[in-house]
Amino acid sequence: MKPPNSNEHFEDGLRRALRPVDAPDGFTERLMRALPADAKPVLVSSSGAPRARARQFGIPAALAASLLVAVMLGKHVAVEREQLAEQQGREASLELMRALRLTSEKLDIAYQAVQSPPPAGAEENRS
Amino acid sequence: MNARVVFTIAALLVAGPAFAQSKGQLRIPEFAALADKASESVNVTLDANLLGMACRFLNANDPEQMAAKKLCTGLTGIYVRHFEFDEDFAYPKVDIDGVRRQLSAPGWSRIVGARSNKENTNVDVFVLIDGGKAQGMSIIASEPREFTIVNIVGSIDLEQLHDLEGKFSIPNLEIETGKKPAPKKP
Repeated sequence: MKPPNSNEHFEDGLRRALRPVDAPDGFTERLMRALPADAKPVLVSSSGAPRARARQFGIPAALAASLLVAVMLGKHVAVEREQLAEQQGREASLELMRALRLTSEKLDIAYQAVQSPPPAGAEENRS
Repeated sequence: MNARVVFTIAALLVAGPAFAQSKGQLRIPEFAALADKASESVNVTLDANLLGMACRFLNANDPEQMAAKKLCTGLTGIYVRHFEFDEDFAYPKVDIDGVRRQLSAPGWSRIVGARSNKENTNVDVFVLIDGGKAQGMSIIASEPREFTIVNIVGSIDLEQLHDLEGKFSIPNLEIETGKKPAPKKP
């Protein structure tokens, strides 16, 4: 017969310690009294709720944002186009005035040539 | 048959731009090469769209611009080429003669032609008359060191041209307008 070693002693001790033991009398009642009377269940949110909310509001929000961006972009383009047209118009009006001044200058030369009497012996041909 | 139709369409497409040129509009070269040689140059190309825009932006409070506004309402184009040089005859006369030849077409009449052999100055004023109305005006002026080509396209109201007197120093050219000429302004 083998002498009991320290391991067996330890296992026996553990078994004794873990053996089922009945609760002392009145333990259940004491525990129930110790619990709060109006204990409310704790709500644990699952990850599915925000996803459903995103699905519900996300698409309309994205559409609204796209629409807003499109409107703002369109407005910006329209303003830019208007500014460009105004700049072109001002430049064109300056060109028009320059063209008319040059025209009047040349008409004036023609008028002077026609109106002034030719000096004697001058080689001028006017019609 | 189909080949003939295709050929006709192709011919029309090719010839389209030629027909698109409005009556009274001359084919004026750009003279791009001369711009570098010239000491001063003015190149004004105002088609109907640009002219419309230009008219809208004229200041109604300025009498000169107001007169221009009245004049340009019936116009469909203004084209001006003006070059000044530091040397005599630095420009090709051939191009100017090319423009002058276009003014020998039916409808165009030279109303003023002034030649000075002494100063070597030529000024010709042409008017395109169509249906008893002036539908265009052109000026070709050349001097040894400068030349100017002006082509005004569209219905030119000669009364309004008279109204420009004193504003652009436009002289009374004594063009028949069917009415008594307005008294000359001081």
